[in-house]
Amino acid sequence: MNTKAGIDSKKVIRFFVNWAAVLALFLCFIVFSIISGSKFASGSNVVNILRAMAINTVFGIAATITMAPDGFDMSAATLASCSAYAFVSGYLWFGFSVPVSILFCIVVTMIMYQMTMFLILVCKIPDMLATCALMFVHQGLGQWYIGGGAVSTGMKTSWGADPARTNLSAGFQAIGRAPWIIIIMLVCVGVAHVFLTYTKHGRFLYAMGGNREAAKLSGINVKKYRYLAGMITAVFIAIAGILVSSRGSSAQVMCCDNYLMPSLAAVFVGRTVGGAEKPNALGTLIGAALVSTLENGLTILAVPYYVLPAVKGAVLALALIAAYASKKEN
Amino acid sequence: MEENEQKMKEKSTLETRHVSIEFPGVKALDDINFSVTTGEIRAVVGANGAGKSTLMKVLAGANPTYTGEVLMDGQKVELRHPVDAKKLGIQIVYQEVDTALVPTLSVAENIMLNEMVMHGGGMMKWKYVREEAKKALARLNIDNINVRTLVQNLSLAQKQMVLIARAVRMDCKFLILDEPTAPLSTSETEELFKIVRRLRETEGIAVIFISHRLNEILEICENYTVMRNGQIVGTSAITPKTTTKEIVEQMLGRSFEENFPKESCEIGEDLLKIDHLSGADGKVDDVSLHIRKGEIVGIAGLVGAGKSELCKTIFGAYKKTGGTITLNGRELKIKTPSDAVRQGIALVPEERRKEGVLVNETVAFNLSAANLADFCTASFVNRKKVNENAKKLVKDLEIKTPTIRQQVRNLSGGNQQKVAVGKWLSADCDIYMFDEPTKGVDVGAKQDIFRLINDIAKRGKGVLYASCEDSELLSLTDRIYVMYSGKIVAELNTKEATDNRIMNYAVGGTES
Repeated sequence: MNTKAGIDSKKVIRFFVNWAAVLALFLCFIVFSIISGSKFASGSNVVNILRAMAINTVFGIAATITMAPDGFDMSAATLASCSAYAFVSGYLWFGFSVPVSILFCIVVTMIMYQMTMFLILVCKIPDMLATCALMFVHQGLGQWYIGGGAVSTGMKTSWGADPARTNLSAGFQAIGRAPWIIIIMLVCVGVAHVFLTYTKHGRFLYAMGGNREAAKLSGINVKKYRYLAGMITAVFIAIAGILVSSRGSSAQVMCCDNYLMPSLAAVFVGRTVGGAEKPNALGTLIGAALVSTLENGLTILAVPYYVLPAVKGAVLALALIAAYASKKEN
Repeated sequence: MEENEQKMKEKSTLETRHVSIEFPGVKALDDINFSVTTGEIRAVVGANGAGKSTLMKVLAGANPTYTGEVLMDGQKVELRHPVDAKKLGIQIVYQEVDTALVPTLSVAENIMLNEMVMHGGGMMKWKYVREEAKKALARLNIDNINVRTLVQNLSLAQKQMVLIARAVRMDCKFLILDEPTAPLSTSETEELFKIVRRLRETEGIAVIFISHRLNEILEICENYTVMRNGQIVGTSAITPKTTTKEIVEQMLGRSFEENFPKESCEIGEDLLKIDHLSGADGKVDDVSLHIRKGEIVGIAGLVGAGKSELCKTIFGAYKKTGGTITLNGRELKIKTPSDAVRQGIALVPEERRKEGVLVNETVAFNLSAANLADFCTASFVNRKKVNENAKKLVKDLEIKTPTIRQQVRNLSGGNQQKVAVGKWLSADCDIYMFDEPTKGVDVGAKQDIFRLINDIAKRGKGVLYASCEDSELLSLTDRIYVMYSGKIVAELNTKEATDNRIMNYAVGGTES
């Protein structure tokens, strides 16, 4: 059965599965460049793509960290909306400076993430179900805090008082624009990559994801590490919320809720990159880039925006086919 | 290397004194006095349920409830957690290698995982980890495993090597290998033996080797300890004169506890014929057998011999790679269990709760689940028919349940098994396969199940009965096939078969 040709063809298939996302990304670039010419293949458009993918990538990094120890967070996006409310309200309503607002936002998000950790680690509810319930809790709590309306300039606080600030500073808005948004994205990816690949803590998270029982018997404190993963996720969720509100110059109601699925898509597309077979930061970056490049290229080709979700869905489906094709059917 | 020489010089002894373990109702280990010294390759043999694995788990710290004492070099030690055992240099490689490995991490990380946890520093020293992992593999003389490969891409034998490398990487004086050869091919087994000998010679490690394959034990071990019913029968040296027959006699030597009077029924013509069947990833290898009408055919063999795999391959649950299955002179094409059922083959699987019954459903629904279509009117379930069928079967099979609306999870093991059998009775199949049907069933229910199986045969059906309990096979069946390592190695007429003969074939011996 195992003829040499058989092994070779297996290797070739392996190679294509491992590098499918990267190849697809290159292919998209080449095809769009040929069809649209300089409209697509210009420096400014590349910046467009990078800017468009930044928020997805940061959400994807949050999901990557959660999913490394085989966790899952359905409520990341709804929590990010709360982070956005906290960030903008801190700046406008309470008059904090930008750095203090950022810190305030991160602390609030981490405190709110204790709920997630409580349900998962103390009540031992499966991640998927716990975070599904929390999705609604986040939506309700967040909107109760902002009084059901957006947090933006020219609006009163939710308790009817005059806000401390009426204008957004240039610094506040710069966060959500190029080049800062791109730099922040790259830093997030870099930090996550170093953490997951070059620290023991990252490797332990992967060990838990691969075989929780074996990890436990090797002496890894699995609860502690699940908590650690949760806290790091919370920080990235907060950053994502900050980027969204800075880019939108306000915190609209449920402004982040739609980012969940695209970010999960990015993680799944990136799983197999380079034969990693596990959620990884660079893979997530490539996954997010692929989705954004497709959106950008198709928009230039005048494909209606309302058709684009179908393309995103198809990319995710292909990634999943690649991921599960190598698994044995049973 | 200096360290290794040191290890070789100081001999170390691990000893148990009056170690017992009691589970409710059973003494799994009964006053065990066992001792092993470094530099020795020791076999521990015994029939299924003799207590070999339980004893090894005690030594590995995975069975903390033992009573009695464990001594290391004469000093009393407590083995209440796997970490305790590891610290004392007792390492175990379980048969299910996947439980101890992280498939998505590299070989290097898997070998070094314990050390990474124990020693400080937050950063990964990738170079160090890979170098050390390479060294650990080199100590076993293994050069065909790349330490960067993900463990999920390795073969089973390679995974075993990774675990052994992990074990010797840590302080390892006593290495327990729990049925390491069961899933290995002949050449892989040879490879493993080389490594075991090497470990003994260059590192002075004691290897405790559990195997059902007595030939292997004769080949590699110096001494063997025989266990029976939770007790140690004796420890002897293996000499060129030692035969498998001798060991088998020591392993058995028990009287039959219960006997079921076999009622003879008329045996008709061939019903099911299986020719050169292979499949289940090589765990079923060129098996030919036949079952006649009204005949109960036994499949004997030890755990892991391929009995379950054979049943499931016939049933279409495992992939068939060759051979034919003929029923009533017609060749069957079975690709899925659904095909098998439609063509009249039923399987009562080993894992009753997982595979045999729907535990959260009622007795009534379970009893009609195999042929629900028969209880339907235009695709709607006819509850009256279901209930009638259930009442009749509950009465016939003497299933002890308050009502037919009781969830199956609330029944006792024996009664669950009756439900698992009962659902096929109403389906009226031609061939009934039973895989360890009396596992975890009390004596009374056992008799009921035997009677049930006998009744099935009386109705002119064919029965295939796979069990590692030889006494059951001897009292219930007409003919017995013995399996060893996926192959049928003997066909015996039950009247002429004995416990001894079956066991002899089941451990890879030949008639002497």
